[in-house]
Amino acid sequence: MSLRALLNATMHDLYRWRRMPFTAATAVVPPLAMMLILSTLSIGVTTDPTALVVEGRGPYSIRMAQIIENDTDAFLLTVCDNATANAMLESEQVLAVIIIPSTFDSDVKNGTGKVQLTLYNVDYDSSDDVRRAVAMSVVEFNEPTFAPPNPSDTNSSSTNPYHVSFDENYLRATNVDWFHYQLVPTFVLMALNVGLVGTAVLSSIDEESGTARMRILSPQRASTLVASRILGGAIVCLLLITPMLLFSEWIGFISVPTDQIPALIGIFAGTAVCASGIGAMVGTLIKGTKHVAFLSTVLATYLFILGGGFSAIEFDPRWLQSLSVFLPTTYSIDALRQVLFYPNPTGVPMSLAVLWLIAAACVGVGALLLRRSWLHG
Amino acid sequence: MGRQTRAFLGGMSAEFGRLRRSRLMIALVLFQATTFIVLVTLFGMTGANAPTLVVNYDSGPLSQKFINILENDHHAFALTFISNETAGENLVAEGEYVCMIVIPANFTQNIQEGETANVTVYVDNINTDMTSDIQRSLPAAAQTFGEQLRFEGVNASVSETDIYPYDTSFVDYMIASALVLDSLIIAGTLGALAVADEFESKTAKLLAVAPVHPLIPLMGRVMTSALVSAGAVGLTVLFALLGYGITPMDPLGMALTLLLCLAVFSCLGAALGAAIKRTLPVAVLVLSLALPLYLYSGSYEPMRFDGNNIWLAAHFSPEYYAVGLMEHAVFGLEVTPEPLWLLVLVLAGFAIGSLALAGICSVRRLR
Repeated sequence: MSLRALLNATMHDLYRWRRMPFTAATAVVPPLAMMLILSTLSIGVTTDPTALVVEGRGPYSIRMAQIIENDTDAFLLTVCDNATANAMLESEQVLAVIIIPSTFDSDVKNGTGKVQLTLYNVDYDSSDDVRRAVAMSVVEFNEPTFAPPNPSDTNSSSTNPYHVSFDENYLRATNVDWFHYQLVPTFVLMALNVGLVGTAVLSSIDEESGTARMRILSPQRASTLVASRILGGAIVCLLLITPMLLFSEWIGFISVPTDQIPALIGIFAGTAVCASGIGAMVGTLIKGTKHVAFLSTVLATYLFILGGGFSAIEFDPRWLQSLSVFLPTTYSIDALRQVLFYPNPTGVPMSLAVLWLIAAACVGVGALLLRRSWLHG
Repeated sequence: MGRQTRAFLGGMSAEFGRLRRSRLMIALVLFQATTFIVLVTLFGMTGANAPTLVVNYDSGPLSQKFINILENDHHAFALTFISNETAGENLVAEGEYVCMIVIPANFTQNIQEGETANVTVYVDNINTDMTSDIQRSLPAAAQTFGEQLRFEGVNASVSETDIYPYDTSFVDYMIASALVLDSLIIAGTLGALAVADEFESKTAKLLAVAPVHPLIPLMGRVMTSALVSAGAVGLTVLFALLGYGITPMDPLGMALTLLLCLAVFSCLGAALGAAIKRTLPVAVLVLSLALPLYLYSGSYEPMRFDGNNIWLAAHFSPEYYAVGLMEHAVFGLEVTPEPLWLLVLVLAGFAIGSLALAGICSVRRLR
């Protein structure tokens, strides 16, 4: 296979990309939409709008209020009077109203202090978040040493009047917020979608317009042409991802440790090659360019979600966890998170090895199907 | 039969013929819509019931009581029991579980003697949101434990009043709103393809010289796509209701909401199809627009909870009103501050507006 011929054929595919702005938009818009979604979710998921009414005036009431006010990770708090709080609850401006009643101090002295919680319990996800947070505040009030520990301290323990203490051990000495945890994998989705849609659509157009047969008549070897198609898809991915990563680093959204740059290149190159290989499969197996474009986007989204891009795989049912073992995105997303978030990314070499193994398989099958389709129509 | 009626029926018949030849596309759209419901549940699962291992070295009654509280309090943990602590640590390290709770052998004895039992917890702190859920769930369980056993020193507790007598499951809540998304994906895509195909195949030029207004046969096409969409959405509704065991409180309200959605989204799809005139990008574009619109519509919690700006922005999406009606029809929940009649009115307004938009876009392109 001549390298020059390969590069020429690859450049030809890249020029075709430039002439298809709608297809390019088709490849880029879904990942951008996903980024927008996850950014919004990070606002909604992390804190809950809550109204706090402090009717008690004694030291216990003040301490209880301070504990609740300090919990900024859980509550987006508005301190107000009872009437305002109820109006806010009625108009759904807050999810919950917490009232420290006027009798709180005397009740605490009798051992019967009650923090009143009124909850707009539409579903148990947000409701339980508030319940847990209020319970946590009450526990901290009863036993001040029971404040939430910091995962950066690898070990922390405390005692309390509940006769149960928790010695919490954290697997990772790090704090990754939900926003970064969810948003970073969308880079993988971008690479996947662009590689998959681009390669699949070009292959399908060749098939539909009959140019696939013309390619075979060219003096170049079939393997050169097939390799150029897959290489072209992968190069487009990398051309798009590289400036995105550089820009993210520049604005401080990500911080890539210098020693992890080769791993990062490996992750995106592996994902791009994989996407291109799968694209070749879809482009040859499915007839009709619009079907191919639609299916490619759907497939990329599913690979992203099932690979843990939209949720934590640990929470998925067992059968789905077993399925995700075979998906390339599981390894690219996992490796990317390890490289960018965790100080000791010991699992990266293994993830990269499996990712490239799957990529090789995808390219092998994709190339075989592409070649067969061009030869036999 | 008048000329216009014949043209309308002709458009319907032509679209029916086209759809018969595009069975793969319909299958793909249906597949996407149905499996999206499954994907939504995956996100819903992440919010609760953290997969947790429990190693219990204690055989006394208090450890059992504590485990019961862990299991039932606030949907915090999905417990799996294991006897080998080292194997459990490995499972957490491998990412199969996010947490392991080890109850010591002297748990019951220590508490009965008035001492403190130390429970060891291993947490895979993959992100702060999940870690803080676990961090809060453990003391919350201790609070319930202390209250139930009436320990001295537990001087304050929580008295809760709920607006609704029951908590709706997060997954169920999301599925009800996902049906609105499904109607957008199905009706939007098929409506867009019906019109875009007319322009792509150049048959739109022939409509321009027809003896009737060109919009009439075009609307016939959109009507067929809406009818086929209704059948497809019906299938996804059956899948969701039967698969997840959801019984809607107001089935008629649910059906009417979905029909209104189909009208809105078919017309919006038609407008998009006329604007873009190409079948290839239009289908993907509908899909790409559907997800953000869905999440800005109160699909996972009332939009009002996300602050004024996001809530105000959500008002520009028809899905906001549709999700409000849907959650009320299925679960009896009020998830928008606006009254139901206003939601119906605005959604009907969207239907008329999108019909007009589809007409304007099509006429412009035909000229």
